[in-house]
Amino acid sequence: MRGLQLPLTQTQKVRLQRALEKLESLPSKANSNASVTVADTIPVNYDDGFLKGHGTTELSGEVVATVCGVVERVNKLVYVRTLRARYKPEVGDIIVGRVIEVAPKRWRLDINYSQDAVLMLSSINLPDGIQRRRTAEDELNMRGIFEENDVICAEVRGFQHDGLHLQARSQKYGKLQRGQLLSFPPYLVKRRKQHWHYLEEYGIDLILGCNGFVWVGEHVEAKDEMLVDQADKPDSQTPKTIDYSMSLEGQEQMYTPLETRQNICRIANAIRVLSMLGFIVTVEVVMEVVNLGVSQNMDTHQMLGSEFCVLVAEREAERRSQKKTKG
Amino acid sequence: MGSLKRKSIGDSGDEVLPPPKQLRDSAGEGVACVHDVSYPDGYVPEPRSSSSQDLPVPAKEFPFTLDPFQSEAIKCLDNGESVMVSAHTSAGKTVVALYAIAMSLRNKQRVIYTAPIKALSNQKYREFKEEFSDVGLMTGDVTIEPNASCLVMTTEIWRSMQYKGSEIMREVAWIIFDEVHYMRDRERGVVWEESIVMAPKNSRFVFLSATVPNAKEFADWVAKVHQQPCHIVYTDYRPTPLQHYIFPSGGDGLYLVVDEKGKFREDSFQKALNALVPAGESDKKRENGKWQKSLVTGRVGEESDIFKMVKMIIQRQYDPVICFSFSKRECEFLAMQMAKMDLNEENEKVNIETIFWSAMDMLSDDDKKLPQVTNMLPLLKRGIGVHHSGLLPILKEVIEILFQEGLIKCLFATETFSIGLNMPARTVVFTNVRKFDGDKFRWISSGEYIQMSGRAGRRGIDKRGICILMVDEKLEPSTAKMMLKGSADSLNSAFHLSYNTLLNQLRCEDGDPENLLRNSFYQFQADRAIPDLQKQAKDLEEERDSIVIQEEESLKSYYDLLQQYKSLKKDVRDIVLSPKYSLPFLQPGRLVSIECTANDKSGSSFSMEDQVTWGVMINFERVKTTSEDSGNTKPEDSDYKVDVLTRCVVSRDGVAKKSINIVPLKEPGEPAVVSVPLSQINSLSSVRLVIPKDLLPLEVRENTLKKVLEVLSRFAKEGMPLLDPEEDMKVQSNSYRKAVRRIEALESLFDKHEIAKSPLIEEKLRVLKRKEELTARIKSIKKAMRSSSVLAFKDELKARKRVLRRLGYITSDNVVELKGKVACEISSADELTLTELMFNGVLKDLKVEEMVSLLSCFVWRKNFRMLQSQGKNLTYFFTVARYSSEGCQNTA
Repeated sequence: MRGLQLPLTQTQKVRLQRALEKLESLPSKANSNASVTVADTIPVNYDDGFLKGHGTTELSGEVVATVCGVVERVNKLVYVRTLRARYKPEVGDIIVGRVIEVAPKRWRLDINYSQDAVLMLSSINLPDGIQRRRTAEDELNMRGIFEENDVICAEVRGFQHDGLHLQARSQKYGKLQRGQLLSFPPYLVKRRKQHWHYLEEYGIDLILGCNGFVWVGEHVEAKDEMLVDQADKPDSQTPKTIDYSMSLEGQEQMYTPLETRQNICRIANAIRVLSMLGFIVTVEVVMEVVNLGVSQNMDTHQMLGSEFCVLVAEREAERRSQKKTKG
Repeated sequence: MGSLKRKSIGDSGDEVLPPPKQLRDSAGEGVACVHDVSYPDGYVPEPRSSSSQDLPVPAKEFPFTLDPFQSEAIKCLDNGESVMVSAHTSAGKTVVALYAIAMSLRNKQRVIYTAPIKALSNQKYREFKEEFSDVGLMTGDVTIEPNASCLVMTTEIWRSMQYKGSEIMREVAWIIFDEVHYMRDRERGVVWEESIVMAPKNSRFVFLSATVPNAKEFADWVAKVHQQPCHIVYTDYRPTPLQHYIFPSGGDGLYLVVDEKGKFREDSFQKALNALVPAGESDKKRENGKWQKSLVTGRVGEESDIFKMVKMIIQRQYDPVICFSFSKRECEFLAMQMAKMDLNEENEKVNIETIFWSAMDMLSDDDKKLPQVTNMLPLLKRGIGVHHSGLLPILKEVIEILFQEGLIKCLFATETFSIGLNMPARTVVFTNVRKFDGDKFRWISSGEYIQMSGRAGRRGIDKRGICILMVDEKLEPSTAKMMLKGSADSLNSAFHLSYNTLLNQLRCEDGDPENLLRNSFYQFQADRAIPDLQKQAKDLEEERDSIVIQEEESLKSYYDLLQQYKSLKKDVRDIVLSPKYSLPFLQPGRLVSIECTANDKSGSSFSMEDQVTWGVMINFERVKTTSEDSGNTKPEDSDYKVDVLTRCVVSRDGVAKKSINIVPLKEPGEPAVVSVPLSQINSLSSVRLVIPKDLLPLEVRENTLKKVLEVLSRFAKEGMPLLDPEEDMKVQSNSYRKAVRRIEALESLFDKHEIAKSPLIEEKLRVLKRKEELTARIKSIKKAMRSSSVLAFKDELKARKRVLRRLGYITSDNVVELKGKVACEISSADELTLTELMFNGVLKDLKVEEMVSLLSCFVWRKNFRMLQSQGKNLTYFFTVARYSSEGCQNTA
């Protein structure tokens, strides 16, 4: 029953069970023998040569899984993809993280990984948008850009000698404000080309971080401030004098309309339901759940109730079986 | 940045608007340069105070007065705007780069200098390091001070930095692209394009390039892609003027053809050609398709041309000299010709030896014994050097140093030496006027000539540079003019997609390969061509519609019939006259009918009959082809030439070879023996004449032809008896019979066609043909228009994505998978094949030696064949390579 802790009535229980059973019966054909638990032998063709990958080891001449998961084969490489494990960063992943420390020339971020990630001062675009070397002054002003407990969106740049490095390629990365941070198991996030979604009808940004942190917040227009800046402030002799915090404070005073706040909550709850049921989270599924809630005249808080949960499960089972017959 | 600074210093009241700086020509000082600006669409240039009013403190002062083009470019830099400088190699573009670096360092900004080749990066690094201390170097080989403010690197490194999102990306204010005309390089050009497109939005550029005629187009592109103004500063100026000489092979003197003022001297050009002893007549090697020259071999008992040439140059003190040739082998060969020459003093020899061995000390003892090393020293000691890409890097470097020090008086180099490195000589010699470009020997293009001749003349040392062109064949004055005085090659995009680019673009969130394509210079150039094509198509259509023909329908069907008939006739003739059947009948004395060489070149006539005449066959011979050496050609397969006595008009036009036209027997002309290819013979008659043994006297030939006429008149009524293909020649092929039957059918159709009797039929047909041609051209132009209006490479992009998907590099949602991530990191070789190798475990059990030999196949493409000798493990590689390339073909 996926460890659900919901007060269910008898009928709801039966319905949910049926839906889940249906779900489980569906994908079983695809790779039934591919899933392994620890110490299971993985069949490989020894004559042809193979490459041992992550999650495998050789034990008395046999390849054995060291973790629970699904066996993946890429040409001759055999490895086990774990089902439920901590987030493991890959280069190019979009992640959402929280600043836990401001250190010399860098911020440390909690990104749901076994280590803290590092965001260098030189890896972000300065608020003034000017291309230049970072000075000591910039370093002193670092708290003006991000401080502790700020939520930040960034991209994984790669492992370096001193840990996992992040970067913010453009202006649209950076501090996230006026929204909710949700956390759920990272394996539920499907890797896509786009993890950054602007839901136009609700005026909301949805960032499905690969690390299992999700940001639902008011939409901010990402603009290339550089050109505007240059034209506006030709008088400022050097960018050193610009007060970083000024502009940020100005933004904070902006007001988020109630409707937007409700939408944020609605979408956040939709994601909560999905993660509760253990369904893959993509923007399409989230929107479907939100629309389902709207069509059922559910209030935002009711979305977390057991009735809605069962509805979502039934809907998902239906969707997948349809997909199956179609495909 | 720059502009901010300037304004804040002197924003005094008087804001005098300068005249718009479009096309300001600062002529009058002798050194003209053209200055132009490209603005992006919708950009309003902000009025700026006249620069003469509030001159900012220049970031760098130069100890010499700047040339106009230099100061013009520097002015743009001071305004903080991108600039493209297009000038000859020796003109002093580096000054602009130096200023840009000084300016960035002053403003505490980062600056990046990229160059196409490592050697150039190294040289510039040393140069900049001396000038500014805060300089770092990054090439594939070494990394020095990667945190310096000014970074010198190769363009490839810069591109991969951009993909990886290095922090330098966010700090660089100025990017200097040296030798940006490299963008037209077929293999590597795409790197420039990608790095320009992906460069940070807020940085500014300095492009240094050789003279390119379409600099404006390039600047327009930059302006459009980066939404910023881009200036062009163009100059033709050469600090040391050039004199161009021709050295005819076999001759013994130089002929000045273009003087330092750029005037072409026809008279001395003709003289030079007359002095030419054509190499082809003495030895017929060229006919075999090989270009072994008298230049290389030399005539027996004589010194070779190149030896004479170098001797003369040394005597006249035109040294140092660079001799360019177009192949590595020839380069070495020529150097060996110089064996007898010694150009250095004793003390210089000692110097050379010290420099040489101190450099070679780096090598291990075994390597010092390499023939390349041991053979080089004696040459170098005599003041003769060789420089090409096949040399060990360390040897190349030593030779470069020795040359710069003036210890090498005569350097034999390939084209690579002409790029980038600042190593001028007094004289440049072209040992060849043709270059092999992969499939044929073609003339050197004017762009190549400009690049290489740019090495002549050392600034400040020589008053003028000397270029010598060794000519061993006749060339038209127009060709020579084109080569010597033509304009530089234009900068055309050589964009192409690679899997690495594609994967890298797919991997990053903002990346979009289509975006890259849309912003490419290739697309820009294609878009630009559309209006022009439209106009062409319209003009042609108008012309076509203006042609009105009566009874067009029936005329057209007649025309089609005619075409069909002709092609069938030709088919039949080809079958009958193929050597297989006709060989036994090519006997002396047989009368043959041959096609007349039409006097007017356009002459395809519209009647059913071709213009033919008769002649007497004298002899035939097999045409020697290059493949003959292989020895297993059957006599039936080769081509034959037939010598025929007939009436001809021989005309000579000037120096060029005489041309012989075959005319009908009754027309005036002299009887001559011509050799015609078998394909020009129309038919063979069954009549044979007895021909006199000696045909040399004119009367004998005249008499023979009279006999031919007699025979012809005898058979005038019933027509000449021809050899019957089936009975006499035993032609037994189905296709022959089929063709004959169809001809018969067509002939009956002709009779029925009423339009055939129309009086002006020929005239009408000609008009119709013209119309058909026009229609075909319009069609092809429209096709070109269609293909350029859609996104260039769109189909290829699709196909490549499909390959990646099929091989499991990306998923159907364009998400990069494990293999794709591996392939992303491979940038210097075939990424797909290497990744497949890795994942197939091929590299797992290899010994180091095997691994090295396998991997070296990837970096050295030319010796792909080497693979086959590598043995057991590598057969696997082949399957994989074939697999992936098959994938490409299937989906493409």
